[in-house]
Amino acid sequence: MVDVNELQEKAREVLAGDDVRRLIGWKRGTYGYEAAPTVLKDVSEVDQLIFDATCVQNPASFITLEEKRPVPRGQEPDTRKIAVMVKGCDSRAVVQQLVEKAYDRDDVIVLGIPCRGVIDRRKAEKLFGESTEPVVASTNGDKVTVEVGGEKKEADRKDILMDKCMRCRYPNPLVSDFLLGEEVEKWADDEFGDVDEFEKMIPEDKWKFWDEQFSKCIRCYSCRNVCPMCYCVECVVTKTRPQWTRRSTDISENTVYHIQRAWHLAGRCIECMECQRVCPVDIPIMTLNRKLTRDVKEMFDFEPGVDVESEPLLACYRPNDPEEYIM
Amino acid sequence: MADYKFAKDKLAGVLAGLKEYKVFAPTVTGDVVRFKEVDDPAAVTLDYENSNVPPKELMFPETETLFKFRLGQADIEPEVPAEDARRLVFGIRPCDSQAYSIVDRLYEWDFNDPYFVNRLRSTVLVGLACSDPCANCFCPSLGGGPANEEHLDAIMYDLGETYYLKTLNEKGDEVAKALGDVLEPAGADEAAAAGKQAEEALARIKRSIDTEGIPEHLPALYDHPFWEQFSDRCLGCGICTFLCPTCHCFDIQDEIEVFDGRRARMWDTCMFAEYTLHTSGHNPRPTRKERTRNRISHKYSYFPEKFDVIACVGCGRCINYCPVNIDLLDILEKSKQAESKEAETA
Amino acid sequence: MSEEFEPNIVAFLCNWCSYAGADLAGTSRTHYLPNVKIIRVMCSGRVNPLFLVNALQQGADGVLISGCHPGDCHYLEGNYYARRRFMLMHKLLEHVGVDPGRVNMSWVSASEGAKFADVVQESVDKAKAAGPMDQFRRRQINW
Repeated sequence: MVDVNELQEKAREVLAGDDVRRLIGWKRGTYGYEAAPTVLKDVSEVDQLIFDATCVQNPASFITLEEKRPVPRGQEPDTRKIAVMVKGCDSRAVVQQLVEKAYDRDDVIVLGIPCRGVIDRRKAEKLFGESTEPVVASTNGDKVTVEVGGEKKEADRKDILMDKCMRCRYPNPLVSDFLLGEEVEKWADDEFGDVDEFEKMIPEDKWKFWDEQFSKCIRCYSCRNVCPMCYCVECVVTKTRPQWTRRSTDISENTVYHIQRAWHLAGRCIECMECQRVCPVDIPIMTLNRKLTRDVKEMFDFEPGVDVESEPLLACYRPNDPEEYIM
Repeated sequence: MADYKFAKDKLAGVLAGLKEYKVFAPTVTGDVVRFKEVDDPAAVTLDYENSNVPPKELMFPETETLFKFRLGQADIEPEVPAEDARRLVFGIRPCDSQAYSIVDRLYEWDFNDPYFVNRLRSTVLVGLACSDPCANCFCPSLGGGPANEEHLDAIMYDLGETYYLKTLNEKGDEVAKALGDVLEPAGADEAAAAGKQAEEALARIKRSIDTEGIPEHLPALYDHPFWEQFSDRCLGCGICTFLCPTCHCFDIQDEIEVFDGRRARMWDTCMFAEYTLHTSGHNPRPTRKERTRNRISHKYSYFPEKFDVIACVGCGRCINYCPVNIDLLDILEKSKQAESKEAETA
Repeated sequence: MSEEFEPNIVAFLCNWCSYAGADLAGTSRTHYLPNVKIIRVMCSGRVNPLFLVNALQQGADGVLISGCHPGDCHYLEGNYYARRRFMLMHKLLEHVGVDPGRVNMSWVSASEGAKFADVVQESVDKAKAAGPMDQFRRRQINW
C-alpha cells in the first residue's frame, strides 16, 4: 500500500531542491474512474498528489513531451531535472527511453511506486455505472473497492482491473531513485495466450478482422500521442516530402498507418496499453504490438524496457539471428 | 405538428417505412455507437447515451472528394452532393443537431460551402430526447437541453415500452406521412410522460458552467500563465477536436495516381503542430500552450464574436474521451478565477 | 477471355551482390520471369521495411528484398540489420493477414545468377498462389 502522506512528503522534498524544474504525478480527476496526470512546478501544489488504482495514465509520456522553446540570447537553457512518478509498467518506458538515449539518467529523478493494478474504466462503468464525481479506489487483497455516488462498491480484481494488470510481470518499478511503498510480490505471468489464439486464424480471417477494425479508424492519432515511445519530433505520418501515408481515412491508409506504428514500436513497445485505452472507436491496437513483443522475445531473447544497459533491438545484431523465411 | 407513438418492437418496421429516405441511425458494434447508413435494422440501437463519433460525419464526412481530375482533361466537375437528396438522420441527440446549426453559420458565411450546406438542407432530423444524460453532459448551460426541440424536425421520447414521436414542422409531418400506419396517434398521457421525462433528465444533469462574460474575458487572458496548467498536461492528441460536434476544421490534399487524381478534404485539428506550420518553417503556434489557448478561445470567444453563438453544445465528449482528464469546465472555471486575479492586481 | 493472373513483384536488390547476380543472370541468358520489377539500392540494410508496405499498398502483389550473404556485406553489417528488420516485418504482415508468400527475402551473391532466377520463380509462384493483392491496396477507381 502506498501512503499518500509519504508520497507527498517525498514529492515536496524533491521539488524543493534547486535542481528540479517540474514533477509529474497524478491528482484526483474531475470525474469518473481515472485520475489526471499533473505537472507540478511549485512545492505548494504537492497536496494534490495521490496514488491509487485510478492512476491509469503513464507519466513517462510527459518527460519527452516537454516542448523546449528556443532560448533568448544571453539566457542559459534550463537544465534542471524532471522528477516523475512511475508505476511498474511506466518505469519500463523510462528504461527504454534511457536505452534509446532520449535523455540522460541524470536528467530525471524517478519516484517509483509499486503497483497492484489500475482500473479499466470501461469495465468499471459496466459494473457500477458512470460517475460524475471523481472516484476514490483502494485495493485490498483480491478486491478493489470504489466509492461511487457516495456508496462503497467492491469488485474482484480480475473483473475491474485492466487486462494488462492480470498478466503483469513488472509490478515494481525497474528503475527508481526513491521507492515510495513496499515492493509487491509478482502475481502473474504472461504466456501470450491471446497472440497464440489469434494466430490460429487463417490469413483470410485475420484480414477480415483487421478490415473491420481499421475501417473504424478516424486517424485521430491519439494512440500515437499517448504512447511514451512515440516521441519523434516529426512523425512519419505527418511528413509531406515525401508523403508516406495520405491523410484520407480509407482502409488502405488506415491499415498502413497502423502497420507503420506497430513496426516503429518493434522491440520498443513496453505494453502500457495506453494506446488501446484511449482509442475512441475501440480498435484492439495491442493485438498487433503484442505479436511483435512475443516474437521479439522468442526470436531475439529481448524484452524492451527492462535493462538500462541493453542495446536497442534493431541497432544491433547477432551472427546467428534466425532466418527462417530467407531463401 | 402532431403526436404519434409506436411500440419498441416495431422499430424495424419504422425503419423499413422510411425507405424513400436514405436513413442514418446509431449502429452499435461492440461497445462503439456510430451513425451509419442503415442496411441491417437489427444493428440499429436507440438505447445509447451518445455516439462515440459525433454525427457531424454525416454532413461533413471524415474524408470527402471535392472533385476528380485526369491528365489531359480540361474540365473538372465538383462532386457536390445533390440538393434534393432525401436523407434522414434517425435518433440524433438534441445537442448534436444544435451543433449542425452552429457549424452552418460558418459554412454559409463568406463562402457558401455546397458540400456541407446541401447535405444539411436535404436532411430531415428526427431526434431522440435524452432520458439518461451521461456524466459529463452540460447542454443546458449552452442553451440546449435533453429535449431541446429547436433544431429538429421531429423528436422521439423513449417511454419504456413505446416511443412517443412528435413532429415539429412540415419536414417532420412528411416523415409521419411516409410512415403511415406504422405510427399510432398518441394522446395526452404520452405527451405528459414525455414532459416528465424531460424534466427528470434535466434534473439529472449535474455539470454546468455560467458562460456569462466568458467570451469577453478570454482574450484578456492571452498572456496569463494559467493556460500552462492545462497545456503542460495536454498530449496534443486531438481527440477532443475529432469527437467534438462543432469542430469543423479540415485539410485539403491532392491525391494523385500517375494520370488521375482527386482533391479531397479531410478532418484536421488545431491541436497538431503541423496545423499552423508555415512552409518557411515558422510556426505561429509552436507549443501546446498556444494551441490549447487557441482552441478554448476559438470556441468560447472568437467564434461567438463573429457568429453570436458559443461553438459548444455541452455534449461532454471532449471531457469523456480526453486521455489525461483535461476538463473543459475546469478550464473555464479557472479562467473566470484567473481574470478576477488580474483585476485584483490591476 | 481469361488471362492468367500475372503478379507484379517489386524487388529491392543490393548493388554489390544481388543486383550483380541479377545482371549475371541476364548476361548468361538465364531465363527469369519478367514479373519482377527491380529497384537497385546500395545495400539491403538501406531498405526501410515500410517500403515493402508502401509497395503492397501501391499495387505490388509481392515484394522481394535481396542482399549479400551474411558475412559478405560490402558495408560489413548492413545485411545483418536487414535480416532482423525483415524477420519482424514478415511476422507483422502475417499477423495483419497478408499472405506470407507475398513478402520474401533472399541472399543472392554476385556469382549466383542461376539462384536469382530461382528466387524470382519462387516469389512469383508464391504470389500467384496468393492471388492479386487487394487487401489494403489504394483504391484508385472508386474514389
